[in-house]
Amino acid sequence: MIQYIARKLFLTIPLLWGVITLIFLLLQAAPGEPSDRFITPETPPEVAEQIKAKWGLDDPVHVQYGRMLGNLMTGEFGYSIMQERPVFDIVGEALPNTLILSALTLVIIYMVGVFLGTIQAVRQYSLFDNAASVISLFFYSMPSFWLALMLMLVFALQLDLLPAAGMVDAVEHDFMTVPEKLVDRLQHLILPGVALGVASAAGTARYMRSSMLEVIRQDYVRTARAKGLSERKVVFKHALRNALLPIVTLLGLSLPFLFSGSVLIEIIFAWPGMGRVIVGAIFAQDTPLIIACFFVFTMVVVLGNLVADLLYSLVDPRIRLS
Amino acid sequence: MPRLPALLALLALSACSGDDAAPSDKAGANTSEDGFPRDTLVIAEGSDANVMISAVSQSVTDSAIIENLYYPLADYEFDCGIKYKPAMAKSWEWNDDGTILRMTLRDDIKWADGKPVTAADLAFTMDLVEDPQVASPRTPYIEYLLEGKRPVVIDDTHIEWHFTHAYDRVTQLAHVSAVKPSPKHILEGEDRGSLRGNSFNTQPVVNGRWKIGAWDRGERIVLEPNEAWSGSAEESPKLKRVIFRVLPEYATRLVELETGGIDLMQAIQIPDADKLRTTHPEIKLVRRGWRAMDYIGWNSIDPEDYKKKLDAAGGESRKVDLKTVKPHPLFGDKAVRKALASAVDADKIIDDLLKSEVTGETYGRRSTGTITPELCDVHDESIVPISFDVPKAKAELAKIGWTDSNGDGVLDKGGVDFRFTLQTNTENPRRNKAAVIVQAQLKEVGITVDIERVEFNKFVEKHRRKDFDATLGGWSAGLFVDPSVIWHSGPEYEFNFVSYDNARADELMQQGLREPDPEKSKVIWQELQQVIYEDQPYLFLYWMDEIVGVHERFEDTTVNVQSPYYDLHEWWVPADKVKYKR
Repeated sequence: MIQYIARKLFLTIPLLWGVITLIFLLLQAAPGEPSDRFITPETPPEVAEQIKAKWGLDDPVHVQYGRMLGNLMTGEFGYSIMQERPVFDIVGEALPNTLILSALTLVIIYMVGVFLGTIQAVRQYSLFDNAASVISLFFYSMPSFWLALMLMLVFALQLDLLPAAGMVDAVEHDFMTVPEKLVDRLQHLILPGVALGVASAAGTARYMRSSMLEVIRQDYVRTARAKGLSERKVVFKHALRNALLPIVTLLGLSLPFLFSGSVLIEIIFAWPGMGRVIVGAIFAQDTPLIIACFFVFTMVVVLGNLVADLLYSLVDPRIRLS
Repeated sequence: MPRLPALLALLALSACSGDDAAPSDKAGANTSEDGFPRDTLVIAEGSDANVMISAVSQSVTDSAIIENLYYPLADYEFDCGIKYKPAMAKSWEWNDDGTILRMTLRDDIKWADGKPVTAADLAFTMDLVEDPQVASPRTPYIEYLLEGKRPVVIDDTHIEWHFTHAYDRVTQLAHVSAVKPSPKHILEGEDRGSLRGNSFNTQPVVNGRWKIGAWDRGERIVLEPNEAWSGSAEESPKLKRVIFRVLPEYATRLVELETGGIDLMQAIQIPDADKLRTTHPEIKLVRRGWRAMDYIGWNSIDPEDYKKKLDAAGGESRKVDLKTVKPHPLFGDKAVRKALASAVDADKIIDDLLKSEVTGETYGRRSTGTITPELCDVHDESIVPISFDVPKAKAELAKIGWTDSNGDGVLDKGGVDFRFTLQTNTENPRRNKAAVIVQAQLKEVGITVDIERVEFNKFVEKHRRKDFDATLGGWSAGLFVDPSVIWHSGPEYEFNFVSYDNARADELMQQGLREPDPEKSKVIWQELQQVIYEDQPYLFLYWMDEIVGVHERFEDTTVNVQSPYYDLHEWWVPADKVKYKR
């Protein structure tokens, strides 16, 4: 097992190299330069030159590339050109916020998706099943940014039930007691969490439904029923565990999906996470910060897949990782 | 009467204080019995600040916050132009030829750690700006001061600025006071190359009316009254806190304004303002003044020939002599540019894009140059915009050979159709709409326009490389007059994208920039505006006003062309209207 994990992690090195090289080349090909944001009509060219020299932007491309790879290999992510702070600090501030949002969203996705899919399968072709299918497809095909705005308009503006944006109440949070603070945080999580997760939950429900349908037709389920077990026990104890197998693989795939989805959601809900950082970095052409963000994104994808592999072997005793 | 809208807005604001609690509150400002400071003002900003050291600040959010943290050499207000008034410098005078500015400083202003603010701090600040390692975006200011005398420190409270030459005194004051002071005793030993990342930025030692209470990156910046403020009590903040919330998305800011999550929002779009007027009467909608303009720039040189010459010069634009580049086949001719000005109905564009459908108010006005009408001391009101006249445009074009000789509806000359590409940036819906209107209007005259929408960075790069026929772009208003950055023909003026070249204009700019007497420089600037308008290097479209929404509970709010929230320490809330009690 440990050997397996080690091998998997080792294989990420060429993957990371590929991703980073590709990003670096794309950034080189993009118009403009990181130093552009320092240059206004009044900026004397000497100052522009100094700035370029300071960030090594006046070196030939291959020199810049070599230096970047060398730095990364020694764990040196460097400084953000935009903020002149260590990239590590910037990512360190933003990553937990994205993780909180993603974690909650994952919970929503799996609770709603598994529950809904199971009920649908058990009551196949019922009114509930059909209605749920239509609704899931509706949400599944809806662009998340549009859904986000609609949720905000309905629940924040029209009904005034939930805060529109931010992680906490910008004014009152400072004066709240600890339980109040917790409630405040949760309230602020709901809209972005739903906006980010609802499409995936709908997708998961579809997978769950078909997986469950397959399982409940198996002989052992019939045996369980024949033993006189209650339908609830049959479905939730015997069928569910097997039906969950394909869903577990989805987990690994949904992590990167959540991260990329969070870009739009974080901007709309003013959530100070990785999505915001990466968009800001791209607009400012802040190469070190962009590279670091993609490094993190790649690692999340790799870890997500690894976790899926491990979970798979946990839930399915027939599978052994070697 | 260009300043009327802004003035009206200001009047509208100050006229709203008809609350019986108000006068007594105001009179007793800053005595704790009256409850000052109280309440919180929440302002929405689109992006976070980065630094709190004036010498290296870059963004609008940086400046907006720095403005409140540090007590400047001179304060300013806006009245037909920036007018300076004493602050850290309690008085100043010039020598006879206007090259030396002597200032007497206040001796009672202290940094938050108790150390007095002295001339040495100001000299240190300018030294930061001058140091190439710091790479300050404010370096250009230094170039107006004699080397080694930037400034001359006489003693703790006396300081002299020696300028390289005499020029407009308001601009001289701007050049020495625009950079807000930094504490020498704290920053002296710090690494000059990484000031932007210095931890001072998160916990700055200030000498102004406000301090940073909290800064949650990407989320909010909280300003609180600086209890160590050593200026007068009347000048102390009357609000308990000012919170800048980072809300990147326009739609989110609007919802937050409607739900009370923020109290102040800038750049509200006209249809949204119309809606707010009826649904949210508690939000006052204020006009900021003519802050930005859109234009169509006609490239006066042939982009292909320029590219060849640029490649030959190894990509160094300064080495290309623009006089040797072929003129643009269409827009190199002034007669064509003038004819195009009568072919485009700018008033119609203003009506379509910048007019409220509900109140009929117009938030745009015809532009005749790059000097904003807000600078009413120098803006030339006498220039009559070229009027929309299709027959005249056709006649003028026919005179120089552009006729529809083959009857296909498109003008041609020597077998070539009058067709060009108009570029604009994708991100700007207003410009995209304006481009389509211009396209339709020019079609009436027989001109085919292809619209090219490019992403902003690409847009900027295409300007810099002069790689376009015509460009629909914009400028925001400079509040000091320096037309040379846009119009001077010298090789170092990279923002003269259209390669405008007029010897008289160059001469006027040089004269105007060296003229200390405002009456004389006014004459020069007005002639310059006429010369440029006559040449039509741009098709000047419109100036735009900006709508700012502010919650009505705030009094003495100043929203003007230089700032959407000016002099925050004067804003206050009557006791019975306080929203945030803690």
